[in-house]
Amino acid sequence: MILYDYVLSASCYKVRLMAALLGTPLTLRAVNFHPGREHKSPEMLALNPKGTLPILTDGDTVLTDSADILRHLTADHPEWRSTDDDRWLAFASALNASLGLARLHDVIGYDADIDKARAAGVAALRTLEAHLTEQRFDGLIFLTGSKPTIADIACFPNIALAPDGGVSLDPYPSVRLWMRAIRSLPGFIEMPGIHRLHELAHPV
Amino acid sequence: MDWIAVGLKEDVPPGFVIPSRIADTELAVWCSPSGTYHAWSDRCPHRGMRLSHGFVRGETLACIYHGWQYNEAGSCHYIPAHPKLTPPDTICVPTYRCIEAGGVIWVSLTETDTPLPALGGRRTVRSLPVSMSAPDLAAHFGAAGFTTIAVVSDHDVLLAVQPCTDGECMIHALAAPDADRSAVSHWLEDLRATLERVPA
Repeated sequence: MILYDYVLSASCYKVRLMAALLGTPLTLRAVNFHPGREHKSPEMLALNPKGTLPILTDGDTVLTDSADILRHLTADHPEWRSTDDDRWLAFASALNASLGLARLHDVIGYDADIDKARAAGVAALRTLEAHLTEQRFDGLIFLTGSKPTIADIACFPNIALAPDGGVSLDPYPSVRLWMRAIRSLPGFIEMPGIHRLHELAHPV
Repeated sequence: MDWIAVGLKEDVPPGFVIPSRIADTELAVWCSPSGTYHAWSDRCPHRGMRLSHGFVRGETLACIYHGWQYNEAGSCHYIPAHPKLTPPDTICVPTYRCIEAGGVIWVSLTETDTPLPALGGRRTVRSLPVSMSAPDLAAHFGAAGFTTIAVVSDHDVLLAVQPCTDGECMIHALAAPDADRSAVSHWLEDLRATLERVPA
């Protein structure tokens, strides 16, 4: 499988993270998204007319939606799936227009109504916090149960990167515990702005 | 100043450090592996990095930047780049009074003889941010102060209010021990929606 990848993209990181957690090898093809706009080049548009990243190719299959890619990667891994995933995959996609947009505005100068993007991001964080808090009342740490699924992996990057877009994560204790649980998963990998748990790297 | 709630015990388990604040004072609140809570100034004396980005190692809090470790008194006791050096006493983090009681982490920025707030046997439910100042929130309920505000409600809710900024506070909510926590959580979401519609 080949992932057309941009290292600072939250959606590309979703795919790299999922593959790492599964132990599935990916061939990475770096795309100069910024400043080169290579994702809009004729070669890339031939592969993905939408002109977006990530793109995953697996033989003749070409997938250009990160939720579809997560489903594809876990097709033979039912332990990473839940009947409750779809609504959180939709929630994760919607984050691109709030927290994700605020981050792209702050980090690489995207045009955006930044106040509106941040306000929508805060609303999303409140929704997530309320849900994760209720999960904790039932002794569950992840979005759909006691184990992580593609729902968690889809939501994690834009949530964890919220501070890059000027949105604080400080007031959300259940989100913090959920992020820590994800960062503690065997095989977890980093991206710029999301570091591993240092205390796990060098245990006493 | 009175005791201020800065978080709930179940949100800061042993080995955790979190960022918090009381008005303009930024705090690193952490729990040692043995279960003792601490509230410190959120700056490493070395290079000013936020200690809340750091990590708990043994009974110390370590800075993420250069790994300087501070013991439970806030004194630097280990500098990884100079492993044989005994750090001088002058390298220390300002610490504040911090006590966990009733499932709530309480901090006083000054020495105080004030007893901890009475919680009336209630149990903690959750913390949530509200976009209004702590004094405005207290005024909404006609309360004299915001340390704790008892709210007449089905769930016998008590709010411990943490002032954060001019437009933001955290409320740490407790309720009757037999209350349905999900029901209280929904009630709190509704309360916040009501409060935030109140014109400033």
